[in-house]
Amino acid sequence: MTTLFFKPIALLVAGLAVSSAQAAAPDWGKVPGKTITVFYPGASPIEWIMKGTEHGGARALRKGETCASCHNDEAADMGKKMASGQKLEPNPIKGKAGSIPVNVQAANDGTNLYLRFAWKQPAGGAEKMDKDNPVKLAFMLEDNKIAGANLSGCWETCHVDARTMPEVKDDKKTKYVKDGSLAGGKYYDLMQWTSKGAKFDGYVADKRVMEGGKGLVEAKGEKKGDEWVVVFTRKLAGGGDGDIAMASGKSYNFGFAIHDDHAAGRFHHVSLGYTLGIDAKADISAAKQ
Amino acid sequence: MNKTGLWQRLRSPSSSWSLLTLLMVGVAVGIVFWGGFNTAVEATNTEAFCTSCHEMRDNVYKEYSENTIHYTNRTGVRATCPDCHVPKEWIPKMLRKIQATRELYGKAVGSIDTREKFEAKRLHLAEREWARMKANDSLECRNCHTLKSMDVEKQKPRAKKSHELAVKNNETCIDCHKGIAHHKPKGMKEEE
Repeated sequence: MTTLFFKPIALLVAGLAVSSAQAAAPDWGKVPGKTITVFYPGASPIEWIMKGTEHGGARALRKGETCASCHNDEAADMGKKMASGQKLEPNPIKGKAGSIPVNVQAANDGTNLYLRFAWKQPAGGAEKMDKDNPVKLAFMLEDNKIAGANLSGCWETCHVDARTMPEVKDDKKTKYVKDGSLAGGKYYDLMQWTSKGAKFDGYVADKRVMEGGKGLVEAKGEKKGDEWVVVFTRKLAGGGDGDIAMASGKSYNFGFAIHDDHAAGRFHHVSLGYTLGIDAKADISAAKQ
Repeated sequence: MNKTGLWQRLRSPSSSWSLLTLLMVGVAVGIVFWGGFNTAVEATNTEAFCTSCHEMRDNVYKEYSENTIHYTNRTGVRATCPDCHVPKEWIPKMLRKIQATRELYGKAVGSIDTREKFEAKRLHLAEREWARMKANDSLECRNCHTLKSMDVEKQKPRAKKSHELAVKNNETCIDCHKGIAHHKPKGMKEEE
């Protein structure tokens, strides 16, 4: 009797939950997109970025200019130079794409943030570094607490002594933030989707951790023809280790990277630093649908 | 006695030459001397003169002629050695020339007569030249380029941003444009 009484209620609640999740998924056809060109960065750690004798932009960065303010429109050219080994790449990979234009869309429903990335698969054929995954896509968010994150995006986590950097023997050291601290709020929230079907919700503080987050609800990707489409659903509130609590009206530092053609480590294509706003004006605005 | 005689004769009014003749001869001799001096100075102000020394030809000139924008470019305008390293205005040019006589001593004692010696001194030489250009507000650069005459809207975003910042912060060309014609020296100091 009791079972008979509660069962319909349980079904109703479950049904509502499913329908609300489905209803919340945005109609991507109505969400404005922004083309962001991710490019091959070669070996350009933050130490190189801030070295004025090598990188003239260090001067502008110190004056508070963003990387994107100078390089946004020339990302493809930069990628070409580095992928070909003309600059900052001692070991160019044959056939490596210099850049990939990605259509980025964002929306929210008051509970979740939705991020959609779509791009055409470029030619490849390099040796497979990650045999399991032809493609991976990761994005990072930062809550305006790390100095420089608002200017250089993910570069604050990219260091000269990280694995796969030239002449680095340590194959364990990954991204980290100088003086990064999970407890102190100095971290990047990191989410990754892999084409094998996995999703990771972690963070980058004094080291990179690929777990602990509770915000990532779903990360789904598929390839239709020659186009990849990856959609993330993330709880705005976050709630786990390394999760940023996002709120309407605020904007966050945002960057993303694609490991294309079975790439691993630094051999990815990266975006410059941008801002992601939740119902707020930003480079990419996730407006309520 | 002869000397005194010559000096007195030079100081005494002429008894056989009219003032006009003296003036005309003086002007003619002056033109010849001035022209000769200027020609000699200008002869030292050419790429051919600079590269007549192997120290310049094999090091800095070689680097400049590799593929730099001031050597070869879309418009075919070339900036040669003196365009960047010798001021065009007469007084600054003469001062620079006097200063450059030190290089004759360097040449005589062979201070940079091998690649190794040049590399060992490269940073010091470059820093001295950067300091000179900083002190004169990049005078040689400004013979052709000025921030005021730039149409930043026609520049790439990177250049536009940098030039806007340069105006805002009262910076000069050489603050940023180091190593554009020659290789950058190793061990360059980072700005604070």
